[in-house]
Amino acid sequence: METFPSTKYQRGKIFAKTGFKVGKNYAEHYLKSLALGKKNKSELHRKTAEDVFGEFTKLRGTALKIAQSFSIDQGFLPTEFSEVMTKAQYKVPPINKSLVRAIIKQELGKFPEFLFNDFDPEAIAAASIGQVHKATLKNGKKIAIKIQYPGVRETIASDIALARTLFKSILPRGSEVDPYIDEVKTTLLLETDYISEGESINRFHKRFSNEKVITPEWIPELSTERVLTMSFVDGVHLDEFLTGNPAQPEKDHYGQIFWDFFHNQIKDRDEVHADTHPGNFLFTPDGKLGVIDFGCVKKFPEDFFINYLRLLPTHLNRDEKAILELYNRLEVLKDNPETNAKEKEFYEFCKHYGFTFAMPYLDDSFDFGDNEYKDLIRNYTRNAPVTTEPRGNKHFIYTTRVHLGLYHFLMKLGAKISTVQSKELLEEVLTEFA
Amino acid sequence: MDKETKLKIKIADASASRYIENNRFTIQSLAQQLDIEPSVIFGHFPNRSAILDYFYESRLLLFAEDLKQIKGYSDFSLSEKMSNLFYLLIDQFQQHREFVLLTYKERILSPNCSSGFQKTFVRSLEEIFSADVQISSTASLCKGRFLYQSIFCHFHGLILFWMNDQSQNYVNSMALIDKWCSLIEEIYYSKIIDRGFDFTKFLFYQSPFSKMISKS
Repeated sequence: METFPSTKYQRGKIFAKTGFKVGKNYAEHYLKSLALGKKNKSELHRKTAEDVFGEFTKLRGTALKIAQSFSIDQGFLPTEFSEVMTKAQYKVPPINKSLVRAIIKQELGKFPEFLFNDFDPEAIAAASIGQVHKATLKNGKKIAIKIQYPGVRETIASDIALARTLFKSILPRGSEVDPYIDEVKTTLLLETDYISEGESINRFHKRFSNEKVITPEWIPELSTERVLTMSFVDGVHLDEFLTGNPAQPEKDHYGQIFWDFFHNQIKDRDEVHADTHPGNFLFTPDGKLGVIDFGCVKKFPEDFFINYLRLLPTHLNRDEKAILELYNRLEVLKDNPETNAKEKEFYEFCKHYGFTFAMPYLDDSFDFGDNEYKDLIRNYTRNAPVTTEPRGNKHFIYTTRVHLGLYHFLMKLGAKISTVQSKELLEEVLTEFA
Repeated sequence: MDKETKLKIKIADASASRYIENNRFTIQSLAQQLDIEPSVIFGHFPNRSAILDYFYESRLLLFAEDLKQIKGYSDFSLSEKMSNLFYLLIDQFQQHREFVLLTYKERILSPNCSSGFQKTFVRSLEEIFSADVQISSTASLCKGRFLYQSIFCHFHGLILFWMNDQSQNYVNSMALIDKWCSLIEEIYYSKIIDRGFDFTKFLFYQSPFSKMISKS
């Protein structure tokens, strides 16, 4: 069985001859051949994107969640998709102030003026299924209150049914979309249960709140299924942080905490924060990483998760036999690539992309600010065979979202991180399951 | 709110609860429940029916009282102000849901019903619309009794929806209020009628018909 030992890294490095640079050249070469062999897909992507979002905008509230679930907003799909998303006014308007008051009264029994010392009627964050308000308790403690838009839970079933029809009409006939859609539906329904989210907040607070990471604390007595109250985490989001032109060591500091937070979740083989969206992370004034929003947390089946982690060293080692075996186990391939030309094309793409994706684990440090690497990832996403049927185990929806989210966050931050500890951690986990 | 009004509301609330137990309750039994003399009740209401009618009217007095508690209410948009009125009424009705289910149609919907609730409701709407400076000029011409009466009719529809609402915590009724008020705001804030009027006026002044009028 494949593990993640350092010796395999060394072999990966040897294979890549002089390490990272050659690895990049190799990946770039593949991309060029891919581009030469195909027509410009830009127009096709744009048309598909318009089709998808034209329909998605009709779904409103939960549409954004569905799009997020399929990593549409994280650059997984071609650039044309994100351009169309912006044009399609894919934004969620805030809940009207009177409705906020009414929901609080309905759920907590009193209007906000009587419950809190101070309540800001302007939302500090608005998302697809709810929005967050800042308030102060009578004892002076600062809190955040998440309020769910009425009727969201009731519309999920019908929105998902529409999305199912939409995907089936876009994807080739006979594509198996149901397991993916069902997985998204289950997760979405759970995301609308704020009691469940409150419990997740507590579990993550116990596991991760330390001198480097801060997570909120749940306040159950002021929470219901539709209103969630938690302690307030002060800080700025990625965009605002970058506006202040932070020095490189500062970027590296936060990047390292983010990278380590991600890998520490793997260590426990427990739940994973599966909504790696920049809006869910804060840079606190005391140098901590604030992790908020625990609506989407996932615990993956162990066999899937271990096989997913094995993809990293296996790609780096270029062990084709092992890669093929893993792809079959993870349902990435539907036929033998040696006898099926379409499968061969898909296999080649995944193999090269997988290697590029595993690159940060090649050496003892990795610079996510490297523009060449950013272009490489972007070019792979541009050339991803998105118009073919969906592939891979249904759990890829969220592992991809988490992992891609991590990379995109670090690339935007431009952080250089040390991978020594994370590689040891992965090795430990994989050795345990060898 | 003065002491007297508070007492009247207290009597109305108690009568709503009493009505569910016995819809033919007497003023004496109500006075006994409230631990006051029947003459006190008769000092404010001529009969039992007037108390039940006042229950509805007093919900709007509570609404007016609630407005004083809201920070920044004057900055609310048209939709926010309107929905605040409806949410508060629904909230008040919810506390006496059984009573409202039994009496709303008879006391508010019926053509012969007392108009205290309707008058106060229309006045509240008038205040909301007249204080709003964002309403487009042409749409302002459409403000008036007809508009308020028509919103009052729609309000009946909303209450009938709420009466039959099976969703948890009546979230569907809350969503309906939000969407309805947003639509009204969209219509009243829209500048499209202003632009259309301006455009038509321009075309008219350029037309031979306009020149003929100015010559004559």
